Amino acid sequence: MQGILKKLIKNRAFLLLVLPGAAWFIIFAYLPMFGTIIAFKDFRIHPGGFFESVLKSEWVGFKNFEFLFSTDDAYIITRNTILYNVGLIMLGLVLAVTLAIIMNELLNKRLAKFYQTAMFMPYFLSWVIISYFVFSFLNVEKGVFNQLLVFFGEDPVSWYSETKFWPYFLIFLGLWKNAGYGSVVYLAAIAGIDRSYYEAAMIDGATKWNQIRFITLPMLKPLMIILTVLALGGIFRSDFGLFYQVPRDSGALYPVTNVIDTFVYRGLTIMGDTGMSTATGLYQSVVGLILVLLANYAVRKIEKDYAVF
Amino acid sequence: MKSKKMVLLMVVFLFALASGLAGCGSNNTKESSDGNTPSGTQSASPTESGDQAGDKLDPVKLKVYLIGGPQRDLPMVQEEMNKYLTDKINATVDITMIDWGDYSKRLPVITASGENYDIAFTSSWAFDYLPNATRGAFLPINDLLEKYGQDIIKELDPRFLTGSQVNGKNYAVPVNKELASQWVWRFNKQYVDKYKMDITKIRNLEDLEPYLKQIKEGEPADITPLAVPKGFKPYMPFDFLLGDEFPVGMNMNSTDGKYVNILESDELKSSLKTIRKYYQAGYLRKDVATLEGIDNIKTGKWFADREQTQPYAELGWSRSAGYDIVTSPMQDPVIFTGSATGSMHAISANSKNPERAMMFLNLLNSDKYLRNLINYGIEGTHYKKISEDVIEDLPAMKDGYQMPGFALGNLFLTYSHKEDPADKWEAFKEFNNSAKVAPSFGFNFNPDPVKTEVASISAIVKEFYPPIMTGAVDPDEHLPKAIAKMKDAGLDKVIAEAQKQYDEWKAAHK
Amino acid sequence: MNDLSKSMERTVLSAPGKKKTRDINAISPLWNFIFNVGVCLFALSCIFPFIFIIVISFTDEKTLALNGFSILPEVLSLDAYRFLMRSGEQMVQSLGVTLAVTVIGTVLTLYLVSTYAYAISRKNFDQRRFFSFLAFFTMLFSGGLVPGYIVVTQVLHLRDTLWALIFPSILNAFYIIVMRTFFTTTVPDAIIESAKIDGATEFGIYTRIVLPISLPGIATIGLFSTLGFWNDWFNALLYIDNPNLIPLQTLLIRIQNNMDFIVQNSSQVVSYDIAATLPTETVRMAMVVLATLPIALAYPFFQKYFIQGLTIGSVKE
Repeated sequence: MQGILKKLIKNRAFLLLVLPGAAWFIIFAYLPMFGTIIAFKDFRIHPGGFFESVLKSEWVGFKNFEFLFSTDDAYIITRNTILYNVGLIMLGLVLAVTLAIIMNELLNKRLAKFYQTAMFMPYFLSWVIISYFVFSFLNVEKGVFNQLLVFFGEDPVSWYSETKFWPYFLIFLGLWKNAGYGSVVYLAAIAGIDRSYYEAAMIDGATKWNQIRFITLPMLKPLMIILTVLALGGIFRSDFGLFYQVPRDSGALYPVTNVIDTFVYRGLTIMGDTGMSTATGLYQSVVGLILVLLANYAVRKIEKDYAVF
Repeated sequence: MKSKKMVLLMVVFLFALASGLAGCGSNNTKESSDGNTPSGTQSASPTESGDQAGDKLDPVKLKVYLIGGPQRDLPMVQEEMNKYLTDKINATVDITMIDWGDYSKRLPVITASGENYDIAFTSSWAFDYLPNATRGAFLPINDLLEKYGQDIIKELDPRFLTGSQVNGKNYAVPVNKELASQWVWRFNKQYVDKYKMDITKIRNLEDLEPYLKQIKEGEPADITPLAVPKGFKPYMPFDFLLGDEFPVGMNMNSTDGKYVNILESDELKSSLKTIRKYYQAGYLRKDVATLEGIDNIKTGKWFADREQTQPYAELGWSRSAGYDIVTSPMQDPVIFTGSATGSMHAISANSKNPERAMMFLNLLNSDKYLRNLINYGIEGTHYKKISEDVIEDLPAMKDGYQMPGFALGNLFLTYSHKEDPADKWEAFKEFNNSAKVAPSFGFNFNPDPVKTEVASISAIVKEFYPPIMTGAVDPDEHLPKAIAKMKDAGLDKVIAEAQKQYDEWKAAHK
Repeated sequence: MNDLSKSMERTVLSAPGKKKTRDINAISPLWNFIFNVGVCLFALSCIFPFIFIIVISFTDEKTLALNGFSILPEVLSLDAYRFLMRSGEQMVQSLGVTLAVTVIGTVLTLYLVSTYAYAISRKNFDQRRFFSFLAFFTMLFSGGLVPGYIVVTQVLHLRDTLWALIFPSILNAFYIIVMRTFFTTTVPDAIIESAKIDGATEFGIYTRIVLPISLPGIATIGLFSTLGFWNDWFNALLYIDNPNLIPLQTLLIRIQNNMDFIVQNSSQVVSYDIAATLPTETVRMAMVVLATLPIALAYPFFQKYFIQGLTIGSVKE
């Protein structure tokens, strides 16, 4: 006991620094977590407030989770969710880092600033709006793609029912929308690298390529690893609008567009069951947590400083 | 391992916090009843609830949530209402309007958080009545109606109360308005006149064929003969269990009281053949299966579509479109269980003053002065009277007080505008009386025992319905696939459960 | 890839002597050109929809419905803006609310994030793993809507106050972990050690040494947080009834939701008059213009911290 107290006193300066933030986490994040119990309950409203309602509702075990696994779709939605996320995480990482490095090397800084602002713009567009633009390219009669096909003497394609194109469309759009936002972190990280490293490398005659390889990339490595590990936590969640609005909820495309979030949304429109939606969230979180713990464990083994915690 | 210890520590943390929350939560329930001595316990004698009860009741304030855009002049009108209400039942109201698009997101949260509000708007399409009634959000009001709501019982078409019962109890006071629902074909009158069509003969999907053909051949390609979006379904003479996006129902023309799989019915199969033929003939948009909505009204480049109607609806449609629209019914008006729950007011299970809330609802549904005050505002400020029951809007109405009339209580008490047909409300009553009552009227299905199956099937419906129902794919190939997939997901189990509940209900209501 | 590195080698090696005006460590004009073309195409694809959106927002609704999207519409119209400006006063008020929330929120966020992140970035803080995990865990698990609502309304009594728009989104574990990474990678341990020997306190090190070095990181989190507060509409939907406290995004989204809802439920909502004539598509685009332009203008303010490189040496002295 005394040991702990001593330790706390020793760390008092740091503890004071984390105190406001920790207090916020407790009040706004940990207090409400108690509501997760609903996932295992048949939620009913009882007079006397929410707490009473939760406590008095009947336990139903894992019943609220069943619909996630009860049909053949379970395999498809899980596969789609994981594959799209892996694709988006990996390619997103490469794209963001590449853009950041290129942007940093461009000779005309004014142009670089302009590009960067431009690339940020899609972040402000909602998926609904983007879906309109996609539609203007892909619609059967007046879409740009089909007009081009006809112009070159090909048959028009009914894009919204041809599954084979959509994995590429979706990955492309997902990358396109978030490239600007994603590269900002890396740009800032590059800006934070001490210039004297490069100066020293130049004196040693290192080429630009080698400077990127041996200075920039290693300096970005911790950030790349940590952001990827964090992204793994969301591997069972997806950007709802990308998979629901952009393909215009077209039934023919479900085999390649249906992910856990869209499946649950469609299933619960009739009943809107709190227990089942909470259960889904919990399922997604637990899988994410396990993955992050594993990844973090592995990273820790290899390079302690790069671990998230 | 260290991370294990950490997780453990977190769990302990969590529980400590949860108990903290519990303390706060329950504290607060007491607090937020703020000083309103639980006047619900007082025993106002029922007969006096009407007039001079005022001086015998403690003053209370009723918290009311209604749907619709917040209005600038609501405080002014509310003050006027409160003067009147203090006089009548010694109560005042505190009305919060929550916007259309927000209402269904916000009210469930407010309700689940245990807030002590008194009255809320509920319906089959916003802050859903059925699940909330089943889950205990609302107070059963049968006794209260009996004691304090006699005027409601007197004024209201009794079928409203029957139709909105859940397990034999009423959980909300329905608004007296149109009760039946009816699908119609709408036509762009321009073309009806041009080709001298006799639309009175059109009823079925099949009847449309020669006319669609005429349009397709005689008009330019950008006129869509049958201008419908992905939500289109051929008319099916069924009494649906969970709405038309779920394939279980009872045939309206049969008397055996059996729930069936609609997708396997002969009626649907033949309609699907027809719609497939239309699609292939180019009467529908090629991309209909992915069309969220269709701009036909705005562009005017259409011949026919379908819509749900009520008396004089075509006047409104024509007015907003800017050109004439005419209709022809697909079916006779029918009264379903759901149609009785189009607009209602429920008393919260957490209300501290349910008696007074019911007295207020009673006035709202029977007192002409109060009903028009909340709907149109203050006479001389927001409107002026032209004759006894006819009014004209003043500018202040448009700027600061536009309330959704159908969501505020007995619609038949409200004044009409001078441009309205004089017999508007009479026509509504006639419409209700002419309607056929569905076999399961009054029966509400409780999906809880099969909610896993219902959720899975709903998701499958979204995949298969749009292309099949609009004829975009060959029904002979895709319909059996859809049926097989739904059966795998437990469709038969849902039908069996529905049948069981229905038979029990039927036995109890013999 | 091999080709690329070889040619780079060549150009870079031959670069120094050629022109005096050029930074000797810059990439060659050829590569500069190639990079420019590639990035430029990508940037144009990003900005093109915006130009389109502006055009559509000035298009006549009926023309849009008839012809679809067109960069040169036949009939122009201000209807969408007129429709939105019906609540013009409200919009100015809402813009004020948004600005206040964004500024106050971002300042507080930066304070909370940087202090927390600094502490857990220090190796001699014994509980740093615990506090890292405490933050991280909240990225994955949340209690859902209702418990959060109860905390804000019943525990803290913030309903209908500006704070209800700020507090719930003031902190975010993602920011903390990114910030911590910036601290660990850009602040050399040696500087801190030497400051300690000079007798600086932890708080002194944090304010005088760590913060100035980490400006790019602070700017990044500041940007993210600004965007977060600017775009947030959900808190107001839950907690605000008073029209004077409604932020811009909530106001716009509400108009949008109402239009969608009324159109979807036209058979229930007796509003045949409104449903068909609402300028839905053009209004949607006009709202994007109104909501995005101000914040897009704020972006260059943060940007300068990402583009200029920093020389830590100068801080050391």
